[in-house]
Amino acid sequence: MMPAAQADTSTYAVELTGCTKQFPTPGGETYVAVRDINLKVEPGRFVSIVGPTGSGKSTILNMAAGLLDPSSGGVKSFGQPVSGVNRRASYMFQQDPLLPWKTVIDNVSLGLTMAGVSKAEAHAESRRWLEKVGLKNFADRYPHQLSGGMRKRTAIAQAWIVNPDILLMDEPFSALDVQTRQIMENELLQLWQESGKAVVFITHDLDEAIALSDEVVILGAGPGSTVVGSYTIDIPRPRDLLDIRDDPKFVTLHREIWGRLKIEVSKTYETALAEEGEVA
Amino acid sequence: MTLLGSRKNGPSAAQDGSVARRRPRGGEMSALAMRSTQLLLTVAVLGAWELSARAGIVDEFFFPLPSDIFQTVWVWVSSGFVFPHLWVTMQEAILAFLVGAAVGLLLGFVLARVRFLERLLDPFLQMFNALPRVVLAPIFLLWFGLGIWSKVAFGFTLVFFIVFFNTLEGVKSVDRVLVDNARMLGASEKQLLRHVFIPSALTWIFSSLHISVGFAITGAVVGEYLGASAGVGYAIAQAQGVFDTKGVFAGMFILMIVVLIIDLLVNRLERHLLRWRPVRSS
Repeated sequence: MMPAAQADTSTYAVELTGCTKQFPTPGGETYVAVRDINLKVEPGRFVSIVGPTGSGKSTILNMAAGLLDPSSGGVKSFGQPVSGVNRRASYMFQQDPLLPWKTVIDNVSLGLTMAGVSKAEAHAESRRWLEKVGLKNFADRYPHQLSGGMRKRTAIAQAWIVNPDILLMDEPFSALDVQTRQIMENELLQLWQESGKAVVFITHDLDEAIALSDEVVILGAGPGSTVVGSYTIDIPRPRDLLDIRDDPKFVTLHREIWGRLKIEVSKTYETALAEEGEVA
Repeated sequence: MTLLGSRKNGPSAAQDGSVARRRPRGGEMSALAMRSTQLLLTVAVLGAWELSARAGIVDEFFFPLPSDIFQTVWVWVSSGFVFPHLWVTMQEAILAFLVGAAVGLLLGFVLARVRFLERLLDPFLQMFNALPRVVLAPIFLLWFGLGIWSKVAFGFTLVFFIVFFNTLEGVKSVDRVLVDNARMLGASEKQLLRHVFIPSALTWIFSSLHISVGFAITGAVVGEYLGASAGVGYAIAQAQGVFDTKGVFAGMFILMIVVLIIDLLVNRLERHLLRWRPVRSS
């Protein structure tokens, strides 16, 4: 399935135009997190944002989610300006978002019950999702009784059950060990391929970004970072993530994008060193 | 670190780590053996007390014989003398607790969610909290009279601040990610309260529940002691008035048992409502 063919380019799932976000610092100054961000994500497309530490990746995602308002610039979702939380999006957080006082099934049902779906119906739908993510025997457990990978699967089911048009993912797998992470990436791709949802995926891992995405956007070094490059990943789907790193196309793309990203990473590193020098 | 220093830090430093898990095993007793030892200790202390009072080593007037105290307790209980007093004290404590906890919860939630109000009221709340509450008892006696309401008001000032500060802290310390996640899933402000803030604050509120229940009873008894026409505190004050130390000790003992039973019930409730929490390994 090639989503680009069906995309209506006049309405993007996510569209950030000239977005700048600044925060007041405790010292009374302003810290510019990101500057003049332009980002367009077509419906059904998987876009990754990669950047060095402190480049404001999460800020961009939070603006798209409506959890943060840009200081200047506009955020639109399917042609509508985003004010308040973006109702067409689900968010997968880097940290554990499950409510510890609710069982797995109640956590997965959360989005439905809050939308007014009856408990019986919500639970039936949740069971379908738990089966899909391989947790049907764990419905009545509490989150603390699950492993990290199982909690991630629950979080995936929780985010997907409300059937959002957009999935915003903030380094969702960074806390997992390497093997679990690859399995989760594979499962995510399978879910996504049959869904036609737009995904904005944040990571600092270029391998992960290239393996999963249709497009990789590179952010410059912070503070005040902005988009410095955008690359189309035309590796055919379905992809086998376990072997993709040997694919010649992957290797070529990786070399090209890393060449650009490397510059920003070393800038960040030098700034950090310089700041350390100032302190010392 | 010196050897002495590190040894001093031993118990706290050994909270986690395998050494701590292994160490208590050596000195560990079965539950039954521990209970028997505790019983033995009780018998030893009470026996020593009884004997030394009988032998005239301690003054029986100030430290009445344990056997006499238990006899007084028995008389108070079997004659039914203590129950009306206990009932009055419980009424006062329950009312003070309910009203104090309800107002504390409500204000705690409101102030935690409305930053303006919190900043506005903070100095006043701190001021009232700094006031030693016992000094309020005389004014409450004047305002509300000798009946139960002066004690309810007094207990209220004790319970309210504990519940209030714990609720405020509990709501404010809710994990940001949990709130954002619920909002992204479509939670309204009311649903956020119900699904995220209240359950999250519950752990804090419960940690304060044991203290606030105790304070509600303390408030009632101290209030009665200072001026009342009924209640366990009043009964103790009456006994003191006629130099009946046995009666004072009997009142203390009965109160102790009642508070223990209430604490047990609170524990049960807590364990049920917080059953989602991981069981501590200790």
